[in-house]
Amino acid sequence: MFQSLRKPERDRVTITVNGHPIEAIAGQSVWSAMALNGQTITRRAALSGEDRSAYCAMGVCFECLVEIDGLPNQQACLRRVTEGMAVTTQEITETTEATNAGL
Amino acid sequence: MQAFDCAIIGAGPAGMSAAITLAKSGACVAVLDQASRAGGQIYRASADSPLPDAHVLGADYTDGATLIAEFERVDITHITQADVWHIGDDGRILFSHFGDTRELHCREMLLCPGAMERPMPIPGWTLPGVMTAGAAQVMLKSDAMVAKGAVFAGSGPLLYLIVAQYLRLGVPVAAMVDTTPRQNYLAAAPLLPRAMRNLPMLKKGLDLLREIRASGVPVYRGATDLQVLGDTRAQGLRFTSASRSHDIAADTVFLHHGVQPNLNMTRAMDLTHRWNADQLCWQVDTDAFGQSSVPHVAVAGDGAGIIGADGARMAGRLAALNILHRLDLLPQEGLDRAAAPDLAALAAMSPFRAFIDRLYRPSDALRLPRDPDTLVCRCEEQTLAQLRTGFEQGARDPNALKMLTRCGMGPCQGRQCGHIVAGLLSDWRNEPPETVGYYRLRSPQRLLTLDELSRFHAIPAPTEATE
Ligand SMILES: Cc1cc2nc3c(=O)[nH]c(=O)nc-3n(C[C@H](O)[C@H](O)[C@H](O)COP(=O)(O)OP(=O)(O)OC[C@H]3O[C@@H](n4cnc5c(N)ncnc54)[C@H](O)[C@@H]3O)c2cc1C
Ligand code: FES
Repeated sequence: MFQSLRKPERDRVTITVNGHPIEAIAGQSVWSAMALNGQTITRRAALSGEDRSAYCAMGVCFECLVEIDGLPNQQACLRRVTEGMAVTTQEITETTEATNAGL
Repeated sequence: MQAFDCAIIGAGPAGMSAAITLAKSGACVAVLDQASRAGGQIYRASADSPLPDAHVLGADYTDGATLIAEFERVDITHITQADVWHIGDDGRILFSHFGDTRELHCREMLLCPGAMERPMPIPGWTLPGVMTAGAAQVMLKSDAMVAKGAVFAGSGPLLYLIVAQYLRLGVPVAAMVDTTPRQNYLAAAPLLPRAMRNLPMLKKGLDLLREIRASGVPVYRGATDLQVLGDTRAQGLRFTSASRSHDIAADTVFLHHGVQPNLNMTRAMDLTHRWNADQLCWQVDTDAFGQSSVPHVAVAGDGAGIIGADGARMAGRLAALNILHRLDLLPQEGLDRAAAPDLAALAAMSPFRAFIDRLYRPSDALRLPRDPDTLVCRCEEQTLAQLRTGFEQGARDPNALKMLTRCGMGPCQGRQCGHIVAGLLSDWRNEPPETVGYYRLRSPQRLLTLDELSRFHAIPAPTEATE
């Protein structure tokens, strides 16, 4: 289980994850905001559709792809939360990919 | 558009040291980094730690704050949260910035992209709950986030460091499963006397191991046959140690098997690379000043071959001095004089590096998958068995296998599977890695949307660039 050891004084923001409002710390990574609120699944595997979650936390595995404010394929471990940000876990798989704007 | 004298990609110890040297001699410098603050992997958030007391992470970490402060004082253009995805040898750099696309131009470029952890393709390594030990460190440093009751498995100094950091913070650790093969200790022993000249480094490593042993956390040595337990989520780790099979229950499994250069940038630029037979990885070919096969492109720090944080600082300064010379801001004798101390210090570090490389030489059993159903390409979900079939159908090099099976074609663009695929092909063909080669890579180095490309801005250099 993930847990925060953060000192208390930082500014809080509210973001939504799959439509549910959660409290996060300004400047926190989107991944840690999700994980601390129990949302550890980020995307689905391309063929099997199996659940995937962040692996490297530093931008080199692309397992943490989510949609942020409507933009797909954003790395949750690299992006930082801002007030009102809307995050959704990414449902794109091989079968849905063709309809999306991914280049 | 007005060009920068030099653009640096990566604000870790290498990039920061280079920027300071360049700026102090009057060069007009842009530094781009994905992170929200300078520091790189080792000094991530060292200047503004979210932890109540960052000293528990160790002096190596907190000392980074001094370098970051110096870097943030010099007169440069530092663009944070800039995700660079195209670097042209015409001096053009394109990057994503808060959902927009930006461009800048430079005369000289210095790539300092750092290292990434060597993938560890054991059965179950794609299950949610399996992360790298480096990920544990990143989460701890930048967000003060920890996983209670995790099992740590693998080999190498970074693994022992994060376990010790967890213990100092009072975070329970289920077990440390050390996979360093026993024969590595024997193989490294002859290199020890020369490495002893670097006694403080050696002592640091031994102290970490002693600290972990004294904590009472179960430590298993010489572990083999690792397998993550669980169907849809990680539930634990199974392995063999001292001829007995063990199951450790844990919902988080952190793996570590050393680090290797983050290659995608240097590969996408088609710079000349060479195989490093000690570290078992590809690295860009440079001279002592980091200059690559394209003269106005230099590479420094772990991104050019693993040398550690102190080495990265020296390499960054050396690359900067050479760039100053190329920009006509430093004459040859000034370059020779200024470079001598760092060249000597780097040479003095090499016996210690050689010892560490031998001791923690990645084992083939963990570097390359053994189980036919283990995924090699995480993105396109290609298993060992599927790649073997592709090989038997005639795909004999990484690019042919990629065309046939789609391995390496997913969002990570081969960052994870590149070395595994090359290693497997080298084994199957019974030929050296140099003959087998590596994926051919191209820009963009990440997924982009049309939306993002349509929001385009250029960033000119401040007017004082030396033209
Ligand atoms: C996860 C991890 C944790 C580590 N922790 C430690 C530690 O605690 N102690 C230790 O001694 N060593 C650690 N290391 C080893 C580390 O590589 C070196 O000690 C040191 O940080 C190398 O310095 P560098 O300047 O070469 O690269 P880094 O410090 O890795 O800096 C590279 C920088 O480049 C940036 N970058 C990469 N690609 C892009 C891109 N496309 N666009 C924009 N920016 C980009 C990154 O954001 C990063 O800030 C760690 C390595 C890893 C991978
Ligand atoms: S977790 Fe690997 S890229 Fe984000």
